[in-house]
Amino acid sequence: MSACTDFHDDFELYALGLLEPAEKAEIDDHLRTGCATCEAALKDALAVNAIMMSLAPDVVPPARLKRRVLASVGVHPMSWSWLAAMAAACMLVVALWLSVQERSRASELAQARRTLIEVGSQRDRLMQALSFLDDPATVPVSFGKGQPIPPHGNVFVHSKLGVLLIAANLPPAQAGKIYEMWVIPKGGAPRPAGLFQSQGGTALHILSGPLDVGNLGAVAVTMEPEAGSSTPTMPLVIVAPVAGP
Amino acid sequence: MLWKLLPVGLSYVLLQVTLRFKDDGDLAKRLQDRDPRAMTDLYERYGRLAYSLIYRVVRNTGAAEDLVQETFLRVWNRVQSFDRAKGALGPWVLTVARNRAIDYLRSVDGKMSAGALELDRLETPPLFSNFEDTALSLDRARVLKTAFEKLTPTQKQVIELAYFEGLSQTEMAERMKQPLGTVKTWVRSALKALRDDIAGEATA
Repeated sequence: MSACTDFHDDFELYALGLLEPAEKAEIDDHLRTGCATCEAALKDALAVNAIMMSLAPDVVPPARLKRRVLASVGVHPMSWSWLAAMAAACMLVVALWLSVQERSRASELAQARRTLIEVGSQRDRLMQALSFLDDPATVPVSFGKGQPIPPHGNVFVHSKLGVLLIAANLPPAQAGKIYEMWVIPKGGAPRPAGLFQSQGGTALHILSGPLDVGNLGAVAVTMEPEAGSSTPTMPLVIVAPVAGP
Repeated sequence: MLWKLLPVGLSYVLLQVTLRFKDDGDLAKRLQDRDPRAMTDLYERYGRLAYSLIYRVVRNTGAAEDLVQETFLRVWNRVQSFDRAKGALGPWVLTVARNRAIDYLRSVDGKMSAGALELDRLETPPLFSNFEDTALSLDRARVLKTAFEKLTPTQKQVIELAYFEGLSQTEMAERMKQPLGTVKTWVRSALKALRDDIAGEATA
């Protein structure tokens, strides 16, 4: 029978399973006695063995090995590439959503700006029209009265302000066409006085600037190509003869 | 010489890896509770170490991958009897890994049967508990590494043959064509030198 401490030199080999059967059996028998000293020595040997094993040259395992190990116990993690792809997809969706939102906001903003400009423009034209109507020097001329399908309304002429046309019951402009106003001097050729569209058959159009009212024979409206014309295309849609101040 | 391979990679191992984490008990509990994330944590902690060890033994990447998988599956299947209060997962995982690799080597050499059961007995989870607090410290690993480097070439060789090729002293004697008594002297003196340096560090 060996002394207890004689075993201590063999515990590393014992724990590695490298002792001969007789040596191993002797240690097994002794450990079964519950010897605390040998238990502690065996733990030390196990620790030494573990550290020695950890000193194997470092080799990086392939990435697939982790997936394989986890799959063998029923764990299927998403790979980094999948996570990265999902993250990229999420970011793309967010970016698209933000882009759409931004475009929508920009569009709404542009529309609001257009409306504001249009309202401002209408207000300016109405103010300009009021200045015609308020001024005693304005000469009013009615047109269209008594005609079967009459565009009707009024023309107001002013030597300093120009011409104000207010018309109703205008026929719808054909595609690619636009209304054009003309001032026709007495005995002279018609001069272009601006393009305008009707809204629901009504229109308000102003030619700003000084005007020789005494020499003005008529104000007329024709339907012209969108770019306008230098001479009126017949027939006249409106003709308002001006008698003079 | 085989021993020349050993120091390669030590810096990574010694600086990055410890064999006992403070939360080993928590990880063991999660493994016992079959928390899927626990297996990921266990692999991240010891997978590279186990692969390095197994590859050192079998020298074949395909076999090493198979054996790492077998190692972790075995740990997963046997963790219920691991002492989560006092156990150290690292030594257990490494022991299972080494034994799987040695068992593979022996099977390739046609001498598997006798040792397989013995190795199995030496990796039961209860063995890997109640370590001294400092037994697995990084300081101790550094001392052991230094002590190993101070061994003679023949001492280093027998240590390599024992740990990484699983040869008994009789098999070492045959391999090295040396008398068994001589080999036993080398082995004992090498292990004693390692132990003495560790003991010296503990009392320093």
